[in-house]
Order: sequence, then C-alpha cells, then structure tokens
Amino acid sequence: MGNSSMWSNDVTVREIPKARLVAMGWLAFVLVTAGVIAWELQMRSLGLVAGDLDDSKAHWAVERRKIAAGDYDDVVIIGSSRILFDTNLDVWEEMTGRRPIQLALAGTNPRPFLTDFAADPDFKGLLVVGVTPDIFFGDWLGIPLFAGLLDYWKEQTPSERFGHQVGLVLSRRLAFLDSSYTLTALIDQVNLRNRGEIVRPYLDVWKLWETGDDRQTHLWSQIEDNERLRGHARLVWGPFDGKAMDEEAIARACSQAVDAVKKIRARGGEVVFVRAPSASLYYEHELHAGPRAKTWDRLLRETGAYGIHFDDYPEMQGLEVPEWSHLSRDSATRFTRAYVGVLMKDVPWLSSRAAAQAGS
Amino acid sequence: MVFNSLTFIVFFAVLLLLHRLPLSWTTKKFNLLIASYVFYAAWNPPFIILLWASTIVDWFIARGIYAARDKSRLHRRSWLVISVAVNIGFIGFFKYGEFLMQNWQALMASLDIAYVPPEWNIVLPVGISFYTFVTMSYTLDVYLGRSKPIKSPLDYALFVTFFPHLVAGPIVRPTQLVPQFYEPKQANRDQMLWGIGLIILGLFEKVVIADGGLASAADAVFAVEKSVGFADAWLGTLAFSGQIFCDFAGYSTIAVGAALCLGFGLPDNFRMPYAAIGFSDFWRRWHISLSTWLRDYLYVPLGGNRGSEARTYVNLMLTMLLGGLWHGASWTFVAWGGLHGLYLAAERWIRDRTGIRGEPVRWINRLALGLLTYALVNVTWVFFRADTFEGAARILQGMFGFAAEAEPVLATIYMIKVGVLIACIVATQWLMRDRELERVVSRTPWWLTGLVCAAMLFAVIVTQGSGTAFIYFQF
Repeated sequence: MGNSSMWSNDVTVREIPKARLVAMGWLAFVLVTAGVIAWELQMRSLGLVAGDLDDSKAHWAVERRKIAAGDYDDVVIIGSSRILFDTNLDVWEEMTGRRPIQLALAGTNPRPFLTDFAADPDFKGLLVVGVTPDIFFGDWLGIPLFAGLLDYWKEQTPSERFGHQVGLVLSRRLAFLDSSYTLTALIDQVNLRNRGEIVRPYLDVWKLWETGDDRQTHLWSQIEDNERLRGHARLVWGPFDGKAMDEEAIARACSQAVDAVKKIRARGGEVVFVRAPSASLYYEHELHAGPRAKTWDRLLRETGAYGIHFDDYPEMQGLEVPEWSHLSRDSATRFTRAYVGVLMKDVPWLSSRAAAQAGS
Repeated sequence: MVFNSLTFIVFFAVLLLLHRLPLSWTTKKFNLLIASYVFYAAWNPPFIILLWASTIVDWFIARGIYAARDKSRLHRRSWLVISVAVNIGFIGFFKYGEFLMQNWQALMASLDIAYVPPEWNIVLPVGISFYTFVTMSYTLDVYLGRSKPIKSPLDYALFVTFFPHLVAGPIVRPTQLVPQFYEPKQANRDQMLWGIGLIILGLFEKVVIADGGLASAADAVFAVEKSVGFADAWLGTLAFSGQIFCDFAGYSTIAVGAALCLGFGLPDNFRMPYAAIGFSDFWRRWHISLSTWLRDYLYVPLGGNRGSEARTYVNLMLTMLLGGLWHGASWTFVAWGGLHGLYLAAERWIRDRTGIRGEPVRWINRLALGLLTYALVNVTWVFFRADTFEGAARILQGMFGFAAEAEPVLATIYMIKVGVLIACIVATQWLMRDRELERVVSRTPWWLTGLVCAAMLFAVIVTQGSGTAFIYFQF
C-alpha cells in the first residue's frame, strides 16, 4: 500500500479567496510605500535622524563583548545617563590614545555592574564610574528596558545577534526606526486627566538621546531646541522636593563600592568616580537630598578611590545643561576634555599607559 | 527565532528563494528540513539535540509498534511506554523538574522533614511541549491502529520539524501534513499572496494589538501588590484576554501564512473563540489543535463519555487539569484548567438535566450567553496570568467588588486603549463567528481588502515592535 492511501482522508488544504489578490497586493504595496515615505518625512521633521542607532540591550551587548574578546586592560565607563551622554569617546581617544568602552546605561544603577567587574578575575582595566547621586546611592536598580543585562550579553541568541545587525543596517538609513517614536509610544504621550495620582505613561521618559557606533551617546538635539520636550524632561526628573535620601541605602552603596574597588585594585585595575554636572532645581534638590559630605565625599573617603566632582574644577563650570540633568552636545565635549585631562594628570594607571603608548 | 523579528524576514526570504529554484523535490525537502533546524537552533543551538532525540525515538518506536502488530498487546504497549517515557521524561525534566522539586520540598516540610532541593538552573527548551506532542501523536496513531509508520525518514523528520508549526503549533497530526510531502509543492501566485496576507494579519495581531495595545495595561494591573479596584481588575483582565488571543492566534496565523507561501496547508488553530456560546463551543474555537489532541489522546482513551455519568465527569476534569498543567509548571495553570473543567462539567450537567441542545434561536439570547461565556473565560484568565494564587485572589476580589481601598492603577489612555481594542476584538469575532475569512474576502471589494491590508502592514511597520517572544513559547 502506498503512503498516499494511508493519509489522504484528513490532509489540510487551505482555501484561497476568489478575489483579485494581485490588484489587492499592488494597492497595499503602493499605499504602504507612500505611507512609510510620508511617515519617514514626518519623523525627520520632528528631529529624528538616520544613523541614530537607538540604544538597546543588543547594542550594549556588542560593547560588553569587546572586553571579553580583548585583553581586559581596557578603559570601561559604567554609570547612568549623565556619564553616558556627557562623555565624548572621540575626545577620550584623542587625548589618551585608547577608546573607552561605553557601558553606562540610562536610568540604571551602575553598582551591580561595578560588582560584576569586581567579580571578574580577568578584568584589570580602568573603570570610570559615573555617579548620579539619587541613583548610585539608592536601592533602585533601573528601568526594565535594560533589566538582565549582566547575563544577556552572554546568553543573547544567534537570532537576536543577527537581528540586531540587520536592525543597524536599517537604522542607518531610516530615521523613523526609533523606539521612542513608535505608534504605541506616540499614543502613550497623549496627556489626559488621570484618576488619583497616576502620572504614567505621560511622565515616562520620552526620547532624550541619540546613539551611534560604540554607543557614543549624546543628548538629543531637540531637547536643546524644543521647549516642550525640554519642559517635559524637567517634569519627569521632578519633583525637586529635596527629600532626604535613605541613610542606610547610602551606607549599603558605599560598602558595596568599597568591596568592589578593593578587589579590582588588588589585581592591578583601577576605579575612578566621576560626578557629572546637573543644574538649577535638580542640582539644588540633589544638594538637599544627598549632601555631598554624606554621599560623594563619604564614597571617596571609604573607597580610597580617585574622584572628579564637577564643582571642584573651574574648567567644568558654565556648561549648558538644558533639562538640568544632561549636558548639551557641545558642553559634553568640553566636559570630557576637562575630566579626561584631570584623569591623565592624576591617575597613574591612565597616564603611564598613555605615556607608554606615545613612546611606542 | 521569532516570526516578529528581522532575522525571520531574512530567513524566510532566503528560504522562499531556495524553494523556488529548479531543484528536485527531495532536495527541496532537505532544504526545508535544514532550514527548520536553523530556525530552531537560532534560539539555542544545543537544544536541537533534544529535538533530534525526540524525532529519532518516535521514528523507531512507531516502527517497532507496527512490526509487533501481530504480537501481544503487552509487547506493543511496552514500545509505547518507552515513547511516552522518553517524551514525558524530556518535558518532565526541563519543564516540571523545578516544580516537582518545590512540591516535594513542601510535602517534606509538611511532615517536618527539612529538605533543600538542589539549585535548579535549567533553561526550558522553546517549544518542547509542542514538538513532543507532535511526535507522540504519531506514535499513538500507529499504536491505536489509526495509521501506519511513515516510510520516508525525511518526510517524518520534516513533519516533526517543519518550522511554521515547530515551536508554538498548530500541533499537527501526521494525517494533516505528511501526505503533502509526497508530491512537489510550490505556492502558486494566489497562494503566495494570500499567505503573505495572513502573515500581515498575524503580525498585526501580535505587534500592534497584543504588544503595542494591550500588554502594558495587563502588565500594570497584574504587577500590583496591593488591592486592585473593580474597573482596573476587569480592564487588566480584559486586556490580557485580548493580548493572549492576539499573541497566540497571531502566531498561528503567521504559521499558516508562512506554510502557505511554501505551498503547504496547516490547519486553523482559532475560530473566533470570544464569540463562543458555552464552554464546549469555546474549546471548539480556542487552541483547536491542543483541544482535539487532548480529546483524541487523553479524554477518549480514558473512556470519554462511554462509561457512567460520574466517570465522564472524572475524565473531563482529568483532561482539563492535565491540559492546564501542560501550559506551565505552576498550580495556577492547573487551577485554570480545573476551572474550565468545572465550566464544561456544569454545562454538561445543565444540558443533560434540561435536555437543551444546540444554541439559542433568538439573537439576544445568543449574545447574552456569549457575553456570559466571555466573562467567565476572563475569570479563568486571572489564574493563567497571575504568578501566584495571592495575585489571582487580588484581581478576583477586585473583579467581584471586594477590593478595599484600592488605588487606581490604569492611566486614562490605557483604559481607552483597552476599551476600544477589546470592543473591536469581540465585535469582530461576533461578526465573523459563522463565517470563514476566505469567504468574506471573496465577497469584499478588492480595493477595500487592499486598503485594510495596507493599514495593517503600515501599523506593524510604525509600531516597529521589539521582537518580544510569543507568550506560548514558554509553554
């Protein structure tokens, strides 16, 4: 008996509509093409640009794997959005001869990353830790977008890696591919009266940054140019009530940092802390919520690590902080030049390698 | 890989091209098989070994069972036991291992015995529940004498592995798919276009409605750790009902569309379930390939409704409880299945006592019963979505008006999105309840269908999506 007689009763045969499918297909193709072109033009008119690669877990994982693939003698930046937006990697490279690996993450507490590097016996590089006081000295770990990153870079599937590369090709050509300007995100930005004290999703962070290769990130130009977007960002950072930070959380943060710095230094690595500028109401809020003596100074004292606080250097004054938390693009370049200059002068780990590299 | 990813678009384009090259049919089937393995390995390459093991075991066991057809029943049954043991063993280890350990620990603790289970860090292989059911259905069919073993190992491997159904169904039977491998298949122009149309429809359901429209509201409500008010509890649950439908039906629609683009037919997995009138009707419309699998390979072998009335109810409950457990290693899934079992039993009891058969004649009664069914189905979704019974209890208290001092959860924009989308989903399902999509498209002006198709694709593109996995992958 042949196979066909065994199975023929139930075989699935799909019905095809008796309709002008070719005409439908052409109509849909023309309409979608026209719609996408119009959408792209509209998004460009709103300030989106092709080549903004949209930071993501996959984008971060590419950078993280550079350390694992190298000699672990790298300069690595971790922290929250301030050190991410306020650092110009080209300036770093120009001044020191080595390009840092940018692993700072917006809306994320760097302490788990600091601990992770401390636990990695191979890492003996220079870790630049950006300190945003209300994040670093708190217990909040970060926004869900970047949750699970400490494992993700190792566990990312082949499919996700390939998809990320295809996504990069498209993002370099199409401005509208931006996770902050999806249809869903735009609908959620409609401001309606809510019940009780509900503020989200309206007060979620909207588009704030642009990301390029190597995760070179800077404040989105529209935050400087568009008053509404700038005002919204300030609203999100609030309330600026100066409510005191939890003393126990500060102690936990310092203790964790002490442990991590000790381990990294013990194997020849180095850790420096950098406090990037904030301004206006946000700055005043930070002064009251976590006074420097109780946070920053304590951190440096207990860890024994080197630190740069923007308040201490004249060359880091007068910078432009459009939404009170992040520097404008030009100011980020100035700030990078200033703080890397200080590091080159005062941190032997960096200056000795730069000298050796210049000599060779 | 997931259907809603850029990787899949590239993969599928290359595969379509390969499938249209002037190669022999055997070569094309090899291409499809290799592509299906690539599709699976793109998630986690080592787990492909499990897929191979499941495929090989059932290939040989089905042949062993068939060769022993003239021998004793015990002989054949011992072959079957090996198949079931291997397949259930795989699922048991990877999916239920931690669950079993935790329950064993709880049992020991109740006897005042301190037992600390080893740390369980096992990754659940994607789709394992689906492909093991596919291979088991093949062996069971041979054991039950419903069919003979497939002659070609290539056809058999392709039946098990064919990528559109591999990781989240539809759970195909050999009879539905294997004969399609005997003759060369290549989609004609209309099949290709209709297949692409189905893919667009499925992506729209997944990316725009499930992920973009409803997931945030469902997540927000089910994440609350305090009391949830009446409106929020209902809207969060309704949002999840829409999300799970659009996520899973979207997947199945893409699977059917992708197979059709290659010239193959896969069966429907959903048929407007939220327009069901009663629960037996619901299960004829929801995850059809699983409900028929459970009926044919569990409920009927248990005796179905052939024994006493009490035995029928026991069989019904057992089937639904195990169906619940199939979805996930948690007692909340068992509760979900158990509640559906109770609904089905109650419906059967009422029908038996009243003698009522079929659906009400008057439309208003049909609608009222349909909406009651949908409301009660929503109650079951609470157990399906909540991580714990405490979480489920919080939502149920809110839904039945017992929540005290609940803070509002959902922003107005979320409430509007849920209200509009759920109304559209339910209304569409009622309109389409007794109709086939293909017939509706045949009767609709071509330009209108083209316009709708364009709108859906445009919405998918501008919603972008983040390539989130389909919910049923975890099962």
